Amino acid sequence: MTRKQKRLAVIAGGMGVVAVAAALVLVALRDEIVFFHSPSDLLTNAVEPGTRIRLGGLVANDSLNRSSGTLVRFAIEDGGSEVEVEYNGILPDLFREGQGVITEGAFQPGSPVFVADTVLAKHDENYMPREVADSLREQGVWQGEGEAN
Amino acid sequence: MIVELGHYALIIAFATALVQSVLPVVGARRGDQSLMAIGDTSAIVSFLLVLLSFCALTYAYVVSDFSVQNVYENSHSLKPMIYKISGVWGNHEGSMLLWILILVFFSALVAFFGRNLPKSLRANVLAVQGWITTAFLLFVLQTSNPFARIVPTPMEGRDLNPILQDIGLAIHPPLLYLGYVGFSICFSFAVAALIEGRIDAAWARWVRPWTLTAWIFLTGGIAMGSYWAYYELGWGGWWFWDPVENASFMPWLAGTALLHSALVMEKREALKIWTILLAIITFSLSLLGTFLVRSGVLTSVHTFASDPSRGVFILAILVVFIGGAFGLFALRATSLKSGGLFQPISREGGLVLNNLFLTTATATVLIGTLYPLLLETVTGEKISVGPPFFNLTFGPLMIPLLLAVPFGPLLAWKRGDLLGAAQRLYVAAGLALLAGLIVVYFTTGAPVLAALALAIGFFVMFGAVTDLALRAGVGKVSAGIAMRRLAGLPRSAFGGAMAHFGLGVMVIGIVAVTAFETEAVAEMAPGETIDAGGYTLRFDSMDPNQGPNYVEDVGHFTVLRNGAEISRMDSAKRVYTARQMPTTEAGILTRGFSQLYVSLGDFVTPEGAEAPTAIVVRVWWKPQVTLIWIGSVIMAFGGLISLSDRRLRVGAPKPHRQRKAGGPVMEPAE
Amino acid sequence: MMFWVLAAVLTALVTIALLLPLARGKRAGSDAEYDVEVYSDQLAEVERDRAGGLIGTDEAAHARAEIGRRLLRAKKAQSAATDRRGGGRLTTAARLCVLVGVPLLGMSVYLATGAPGLPDQPLASRATTPEEASPIATMIAQAEQHLEENPDDGRGWDVLAPIYLRAGQLQEARTAYLNAIRLLGPTSARQSGYGEALVALASGVVTEEAAVAFQSARELQPDEPKAAFYLALALEQEGRDDRALEAFRRLAEQSPPDAPWMTVVNEKIAALGGQVADISPSGLPPLSLLPGAEADANADSGDVASVQPPLQPGPSQDDLAAARDMSDEERQAMIETMVGNLDRRLRENPQDIEGWIRLVRSYGVLGQPQQAEEALARGLAVFPEESEDGRALLAVARQVGVDRLEEEGAQ
Repeated sequence: MTRKQKRLAVIAGGMGVVAVAAALVLVALRDEIVFFHSPSDLLTNAVEPGTRIRLGGLVANDSLNRSSGTLVRFAIEDGGSEVEVEYNGILPDLFREGQGVITEGAFQPGSPVFVADTVLAKHDENYMPREVADSLREQGVWQGEGEAN
Repeated sequence: MIVELGHYALIIAFATALVQSVLPVVGARRGDQSLMAIGDTSAIVSFLLVLLSFCALTYAYVVSDFSVQNVYENSHSLKPMIYKISGVWGNHEGSMLLWILILVFFSALVAFFGRNLPKSLRANVLAVQGWITTAFLLFVLQTSNPFARIVPTPMEGRDLNPILQDIGLAIHPPLLYLGYVGFSICFSFAVAALIEGRIDAAWARWVRPWTLTAWIFLTGGIAMGSYWAYYELGWGGWWFWDPVENASFMPWLAGTALLHSALVMEKREALKIWTILLAIITFSLSLLGTFLVRSGVLTSVHTFASDPSRGVFILAILVVFIGGAFGLFALRATSLKSGGLFQPISREGGLVLNNLFLTTATATVLIGTLYPLLLETVTGEKISVGPPFFNLTFGPLMIPLLLAVPFGPLLAWKRGDLLGAAQRLYVAAGLALLAGLIVVYFTTGAPVLAALALAIGFFVMFGAVTDLALRAGVGKVSAGIAMRRLAGLPRSAFGGAMAHFGLGVMVIGIVAVTAFETEAVAEMAPGETIDAGGYTLRFDSMDPNQGPNYVEDVGHFTVLRNGAEISRMDSAKRVYTARQMPTTEAGILTRGFSQLYVSLGDFVTPEGAEAPTAIVVRVWWKPQVTLIWIGSVIMAFGGLISLSDRRLRVGAPKPHRQRKAGGPVMEPAE
Repeated sequence: MMFWVLAAVLTALVTIALLLPLARGKRAGSDAEYDVEVYSDQLAEVERDRAGGLIGTDEAAHARAEIGRRLLRAKKAQSAATDRRGGGRLTTAARLCVLVGVPLLGMSVYLATGAPGLPDQPLASRATTPEEASPIATMIAQAEQHLEENPDDGRGWDVLAPIYLRAGQLQEARTAYLNAIRLLGPTSARQSGYGEALVALASGVVTEEAAVAFQSARELQPDEPKAAFYLALALEQEGRDDRALEAFRRLAEQSPPDAPWMTVVNEKIAALGGQVADISPSGLPPLSLLPGAEADANADSGDVASVQPPLQPGPSQDDLAAARDMSDEERQAMIETMVGNLDRRLRENPQDIEGWIRLVRSYGVLGQPQQAEEALARGLAVFPEESEDGRALLAVARQVGVDRLEEEGAQ
């Protein structure tokens, strides 16, 4: 191989790696990204059952219901609408009624209940999950500063 | 008065940084020794001044001086002393002051230990450090002054976030910043070299110890941060691909690439442009991380837009420094002569491969971190890019890199022999596969992929051992000679092998915990048991307890194995009284390299009952989880050994040697 | 003071340290020498590796050749390098830069952003000496708590009374003075303070009871300026202007010419000079004597000596002279113009508590309660009610019979 060919080979190899990485990124961006919805979004824009989404808002007052074992039901509202959520597991320390949360999961076919496998609550009282803060601000429910340290 | 002196010292430090920014550059340009020397003095003076300032703030925290706004907002008189002190940097203003303290600390190190650097290079490096110092001091004084006072003085402070009240946090940010900010030195070296227009193998030799220092601290810092999140958050996870974590991980990836490419540049004077670029990129990522964490962008794009003073200021710093450096780079890059040639299969080729994968991986992390922000800014659509994204993009890139790691050190410079290297790695590869199979045999039902992934980890470990053994000539010469040769190897060879070994250890930990972790959640009343990872956990009782600034409910557990009691462990739900904020204190029991991890959930009160009768308990069995952090500590330690190599300090001309005719060309090293 | 000394020492040390390298003309080797050093070491390393069998002879030869080329290049640069010394002019400029720049920049930025007078307030020291350091509200709270337990502690009432007065808690001030006098016996300061509280309660009118208090204060201490002032004011309010004028003149003669209250007294003398006014804009206690008009929260005092003169210019001597020669209508118009000017100025520059106090009081005295209420609301928007200034403003407003809109509920 001549010098030029070698250099071409090296560059081609490099481009190959970058191309593979780019492909991975594109695939991942298509399949692995989870969109955020607020309860009022769902009114206008229904989500296919089985699609993973993040659902965020305030935990509706008096909606928390611990049935048996670790299964928990509660509702998420954002001033516009309310969605029933089911979750099996330990709720975060800061999960309280009237506080902001984000849940991740999917709707089951033929049921209006959102089945979450992850529940994230705020880290401290100054912190509101970013998406929740924004969507609540749009709904005019909440007017705090969303700044955390 | 002490507080005000601290404030004043910070302002004088700003004036000193201005001096440091201007005079040494002028001196280097005009060849004026005294002006260049002012770089050293001003670097040390500004370090002392910022240190004084930092001590003043710490004093205010220690004595709970709530007339200082920063203390009032982040401290409380009842807080344990250690957390009063760690509270100094547990908030925006204090952490920025710490950032600057570490920046000037590194400048002072260069002034102090940089005797082997040419005068003009040192002057320019310190001047560039001075620019960064000036910019950030201006930022602090302008937008985030930690010495702002409040009149009238409040009677009590507002406490520190209890999640931040952990001993890990006391050490974590300083370490992380040491790494993060340490890369400023590489940046300054790169910009100084571009200013001088003199970029050669000697430059690479000079920049290497500084890169290594920053890398060691950052490695330790990331590991510590990961352990802190694991131990304190009570979620059982050790890495979340959280933007804040990514902000420190990206400079680490780029810094690791820089470490390897500087090696090529030092030995062969090749990859000059690339190394300079990488040095600039690494610190740019540090700045980007600072921006992401400090501007509020991560909390909300809208917050940033509604109170932009801090964010915009850091963004401006970011744009000026990165833009300026790249501009200078574009001006000078064309005039750089390319250096030594090499075959694709060679040590250089291997290091290029390493750089290729590391920088591509950095890019994917960068995309994953910034994409949601960009998308939201542009379209308003909100998405979350979570672990699945990173697992899918970052993971596949790491596998070929890990496979290649053992080959690199076995290839010769310039033209390597891949087949020969492969032959020498037969033993390591065979052992690794065997080890993987053994693990699979003992943990029945483990997926084949896990076995392969484990084998990769073992391969990296054994490869590092093979490298050292081959260098010592094990098998070729007698054991005694081999031992002597091993002892005579340069420390950097040991350091490199050790770092690779640590990488292998870490991979094994990650694979084991990902593939074999088990988890159980149950509602438990006293006396009930739960099984996890071959252990049985009996819930004994629940007791209230009173801490210095919190109250807690402690759950007591007994750990049983085959019916016999092994140990007891406690897990607690705490409420910090000042902020009425609950946290979970996980109970952790270490068995070998593995851990049993218990955290408490909510109390369960059945209908009609007055007091709770049970509590939700979550138990994880985390096999070999500690290897993740042990591996990173080994890596950092390898870096430390490499740093102690005497070659990294060569370069200061000794006057008596200069006069010798012919110079010291063939003189044996001492 | 200590702070300034230390700050000066710090500045001097930094400046000297930065000037030191400029004083030395140390010369070092040229840059190329450093390169030579590095490449020599690399050569030695290759040699070591070859001897140790770590690299082959061929590889070593290649490496030696390559490093040798770099070494040669560096040596050539070394011999070409000439020792350059900086010009004297440059060093002088640099010295000047450091000598002037560092202290100047440091001081100017600090003066703009720092709080040089503010001492450290560690929690430990504040808990023991609250009177010195803590804000007025805390002091009152602590003293109240103490007095609730020991209602017969006359000293406590004595300390608390002037604080109440300053904070605008007039009823409490009256009670505290009464208690102090009852328990500790009258002194001139207590009597005149009691009188002042009564005057303030009566919206600036020196009542019979207040006059008695001032009289007894003067009996205890004939040269007590506050008592003298208020007694003179009482005469003026009774319409006995010539006697009032005489009393003010006497006070002026007894006081040192630079006494803080002299401005007000002189204004009074000028205003009373020869003519009787129907509505006197200064028919109330001078601003400076009003509670809250002072910024400092020094605990021990209802003492006039610590009173600051008004910061804002009052009516000038010329204005007053002009006012004397006017008819009542003209005078009224002029006063209204002056108040209007003040009003306008405060719209442009609302950060002026003295101005707000004066405005609210003026409207009150002019018999324009609506404007007064509006001014009060505007003032409170700038100085919130919780702040010391806000409280002072509110106290003044109550004196002239104006209160916040929401409390009245009428507007």
